[in-house]
Amino acid sequence: MTQQTFTGVGLGLRRTHLEEVARREDHGVPFWETCPENVIGDGGRHFRWASSILDRDPVLTHGLTVSVGGFDAWDQDYLRDLGTFLHRVEAPWHSEHLCFTRVDENCLHELLPLPFTRDSARHTIRRVRELQAQLPVPLVLENITYYAELGHADMDEADFICEVLEGADAGWLLDVNNVYVNALNFGFEPKAWLAQMPLERVVQLHIAGHKRFGDLTVDTHGADVIEPVIDLMQWVLARVGRPLPVLLERDNHIPDLELLLAERAQLQRAYDAVFAPAEAPHA
Amino acid sequence: MPEGRTQRLQQAAAAFILEADEAALEADPARVSRRLGLSLADQQSFDQQLPAWLTYRELARMSLLEPLETMFPVLMALLGPKDWAICTQAFLDARLVRSPHYRDIAPTFLGWLAENRWGQARWPFLLELAHAEVLEVLVARYPDSELPGGLQEEPDADTFLAWNAATQVVSYTHAVHRASEANPIPEARPTQLLAYRDAEGVVFLMELTSATASLLVQARTIPVAEAAAALGLTDLEPVLTLLRDLRQKGALDGFSPIPLT
Repeated sequence: MTQQTFTGVGLGLRRTHLEEVARREDHGVPFWETCPENVIGDGGRHFRWASSILDRDPVLTHGLTVSVGGFDAWDQDYLRDLGTFLHRVEAPWHSEHLCFTRVDENCLHELLPLPFTRDSARHTIRRVRELQAQLPVPLVLENITYYAELGHADMDEADFICEVLEGADAGWLLDVNNVYVNALNFGFEPKAWLAQMPLERVVQLHIAGHKRFGDLTVDTHGADVIEPVIDLMQWVLARVGRPLPVLLERDNHIPDLELLLAERAQLQRAYDAVFAPAEAPHA
Repeated sequence: MPEGRTQRLQQAAAAFILEADEAALEADPARVSRRLGLSLADQQSFDQQLPAWLTYRELARMSLLEPLETMFPVLMALLGPKDWAICTQAFLDARLVRSPHYRDIAPTFLGWLAENRWGQARWPFLLELAHAEVLEVLVARYPDSELPGGLQEEPDADTFLAWNAATQVVSYTHAVHRASEANPIPEARPTQLLAYRDAEGVVFLMELTSATASLLVQARTIPVAEAAAALGLTDLEPVLTLLRDLRQKGALDGFSPIPLT
């Protein structure tokens, strides 16, 4: 699989759709994204369906629990299995979240924000380099949604992300919905925020839905993508000027596959519009 | 080496999520960061962002507890909301969720119940009930493995049983597999179950007599005829018919000239 394979709008591979996706090749999805934690070490019919899809279709991989910015020792058994898995699916890169998920050997199964401090950035850079050294493909980091700063910050989120990406020389999985949600919760303008970021490091985009609860907007991955987020995706693609792969995430209130395929197709049209040749002026 | 500030901040976040007393956290959001010796400025950041940290607490606890609510509905019904909350908080307090795999949370809870015997003085069947609730999922998701070499499709008196890797024979003192959310207290009746999956991966439970359960277990390590004779079964043909049927169903991979366990 070459990087050229990964363009257009892909879908997250979800357990409820595995059987249907495995049985049809006419789904029209250019690539899938899977969480290795959900496949490695599993067995049974869902695992067989997942395996048949991973062996047939292009796949990107996206981890949840490795705890890039944490302090726990790396789970060497898991990293060995992950390396084997990345080889097997011929992943061009592997993404993880720029966060911590484990503390004192306990996995919290939640993406928690790293402190926005110089010390935390240095620690995270060291950890990213350590992790990169153990993976057979480039490690790419995703910006998360966060609802609180952890401790007294001495830099903002943008500076923190830039410092880590630059310091670790890592690629960026830019989640435009996370930027939009953070902009709502912390009161900034998303395009102005993105304009200061190292967009040349972006190798992939995520897009998803969110929901407002009182004063807080939560990255639920449980609703359709709204127009301003689609606009943000188009803005980034136009700014970067390359047909980067975009992944539609849906983890809650997962609709029937047909509905999800229809939403993907709608996003694909918005994607294609960015790269369509400009209409020739009328004579 | 003393833990640095970044690490202690992460520990404070984890404690804020996992600690039992939410009212105490609401009254004094800085209590965990103060306990960890963090600066006043760091403590104040918890004070000033209390609603957001309560959101993190709710989201993370939902992630950790949802698989238990999904996997153990009958146990939840048995305990009722108050005792269920006490039980699951005791599980969170034990800090045992270590696996990177989300699917491992429910089996980890089951292991904690077995180790810790929570609630079993009041409900002696509690562990069996929880085990029965998770049994089908454990069988359904057991990792596939290569078939051992040299297996026969036909059993005979001298062969040994080769169970499918996912197959389990379980023995309960209560008929816990019959308990339901509407009627979570099982009948006290010794129960043996065969749990297996077919070639398509669909899971089945089969109630066994104690003699059949013994035969299936024994004949893995001693020849079929010997295992049957030990149970007083002198006519081998019905035994062989049963074993053929279990192979066709997928509970057995086949029959081996040598013991495989």
